[in-house]
Amino acid sequence: MKIRETAWRLFSTEMNSSSLEKKGTEEKSPSYLVTRLGAMVNRVLVAGVLTEKENVGSEDEPMWKARIEDVSGSFFVNVGRFQPEAAAAMADLEVPSFVAVVGKVRTYTTDDQRVFVSVRPERIVTITEETRKRWVLEAAQSMWKRINDMKRALAVQDASAEDLVAKGFSPQEAEGIVLALDTYGFPDSVSYLKSIQGAMRMLLPDRNVDLGLPEDLSDYPDEMDIGDGESSADREDVIMGLLEELDTDGKGAPRDELERRAEAEGISGTELEEISNALMDKGLVYEPNLRYLKRI
Amino acid sequence: MKDEELTPHLEELKRVLEGKVDEETLLRELDVYLNSYKVSAEAAKRGIIRKYGDGETGFVTAESIIKKIGDLKGTEQNVDIIAKVIYVENREITARGAKKSIVSGILGDETGTASFTIWEDTGLDVQKGAAYAFRSAYTKLWNERIQINIGNRGRVEPSDMRIDLPERTYSMDTSEAKIGDLKEGMGNVTVTGRILSVETRNINVKGEPKTVYSGMMADDSGKVQYSAWNDFSLRQGETVCIKNAYIRSWKGIPQLNLGDRCEVSRVDDTFENIEDGTTRKTIGEIVSIGGGLDVEITGTVVDLRQGSGLIKRCPECNRSVLNEECAAHGKVVPVPDLRMKLTVDDGTGAISAIVNRDCTERLTGITLDAALGLAKARGDGEMVARSMAEVMMMKRVSITGNVMSDEYGPMMIVRRAREERVDIEAEAGKLLDAVEGAL
Repeated sequence: MKIRETAWRLFSTEMNSSSLEKKGTEEKSPSYLVTRLGAMVNRVLVAGVLTEKENVGSEDEPMWKARIEDVSGSFFVNVGRFQPEAAAAMADLEVPSFVAVVGKVRTYTTDDQRVFVSVRPERIVTITEETRKRWVLEAAQSMWKRINDMKRALAVQDASAEDLVAKGFSPQEAEGIVLALDTYGFPDSVSYLKSIQGAMRMLLPDRNVDLGLPEDLSDYPDEMDIGDGESSADREDVIMGLLEELDTDGKGAPRDELERRAEAEGISGTELEEISNALMDKGLVYEPNLRYLKRI
Repeated sequence: MKDEELTPHLEELKRVLEGKVDEETLLRELDVYLNSYKVSAEAAKRGIIRKYGDGETGFVTAESIIKKIGDLKGTEQNVDIIAKVIYVENREITARGAKKSIVSGILGDETGTASFTIWEDTGLDVQKGAAYAFRSAYTKLWNERIQINIGNRGRVEPSDMRIDLPERTYSMDTSEAKIGDLKEGMGNVTVTGRILSVETRNINVKGEPKTVYSGMMADDSGKVQYSAWNDFSLRQGETVCIKNAYIRSWKGIPQLNLGDRCEVSRVDDTFENIEDGTTRKTIGEIVSIGGGLDVEITGTVVDLRQGSGLIKRCPECNRSVLNEECAAHGKVVPVPDLRMKLTVDDGTGAISAIVNRDCTERLTGITLDAALGLAKARGDGEMVARSMAEVMMMKRVSITGNVMSDEYGPMMIVRRAREERVDIEAEAGKLLDAVEGAL
């Protein structure tokens, strides 16, 4: 049975700080973007203010790029020629205006291993301010549920997906949470609570909402960055140090040993892969063979 | 392993080897395997049966082992089970376009019960109440219940082993359930509900006439169709407690079956609000159940699909027609109609919803006459669908109807629909209180 993927109501902060894609294993099985809060997202429903649009294609074959602001960041929207309905709608949209998009999430990885997340619309429509607020409410409710689910999951020591299902999570929720924790580690709830705070300030202007969070705007997760707090340069230094230390016989540092040590430093296998790729691109390290990594 | 711990294994070996080997030898063998070589009890039994069995009583491959029903995990690839048939029926199914007879039912031994299916014709007439050895079976877990399967590698043989089912086997795992929570594959369920209707039908079962009593029953969580295979003298309006019923689904809609083991008792009606028998569910819940009667869901319209808007129907059969050509009645003068095929999504799941003219007019404010006028003025029937999409996209709706599933997923035939407003400020206030309370 083919079940249509749920359209997640997701703030841009959560969507853009994700970098893990879980590819479908069987033919035609869907791929998911796994967020730091464990949502497994294939389709999204996003809403906000259309602030920019540009046709980067031609008159006959339009390719639209657009930016939609939610309460604390932007969604990047790309409409290609395989979405004729959305492309036609795009041409008629005013900037600025309230819009909603139903579409699929797409990821793009740059040469230096940074992950960009965008939305490819199936439908894009103008909406009323009321509908926009309703979306903000639903997105905030949905994010609050995931923050709490994450908390509940973290209370179970070294939980496997099965353990979480036994605790009442759905199989998909459990899989998402375990993948998220393995890849990103413990999520930084402050940046997500800020999205909720932003939503509450918009919806309840009279309540003087203050959740007591640090107000520094630069604390928002950078939508382009895949690091979580620690900058990628710091991590590269850590790995360079480990390479030096583990290279005892001049052959380089054994991969498995490096992985073990990196793990102890809080750098997962996937992250290590990303960092070593970046270091190789910079010409700082090379692989004498598949099992070793060596400083130049 | 001490002697008393050996006893159950010894008993099992004696049974399997049917007295061909004396107890002393078996004890000695067990002692060697378990205490000198420290292998598992399963491996020991397998080895001993290999050594003393004549191949016929034994095992097809070295991997095959004997298990009690209570020990089955639902992941066995090759297992032997000796058990008594508690219930059996022959069924015709269509597999890959071909008709096929299968035998299914329930097996029991002293440790529990499980359903079974024999997928290949074994030429054996499986009788209720008799014991059989199910050889080289595989097992699966479905809704937390074990299923025993005999495929083309498996065999079923009569066994003269005596199997005593504990008295309480049937009621042992009886579970009480609300009607709204019933799911395909549930067995031994107890439900309490009000009988809304009773119909009798006469059918033929294996050449014998039989009366089936069926109808609807409801509690405060939902409504379900039931079928009783015996006369429990059910009367409309009375409230009954039904024990040991089982659930089978039709197109994803769970149905309550009252079989031979069923008990019905009259109870006081304590339900207040069941007249309309509507079940409120999230879309995620209804997707996982697969269907239901009179289900109400609330969600956002995220798509208006092909086939929506102004359509034409055959005046004979009401099917929708293209180019004035009905698939059944050829060239016809079609009747215009309005319809919407919506996708409704509430963040927990998505469902397809088919909306009739009445509800379409009410939700969109576009009447059939207005739609005909619009199509004529623009010379384009597609205009109607486009106008409807403009009104409907992102609208929050509550829809009620029966939900069934096919290969494309769940679908609701909408009977009642309304736009659902949200008190955003009140809901946001609730959320803020929860967040502040937790920080």
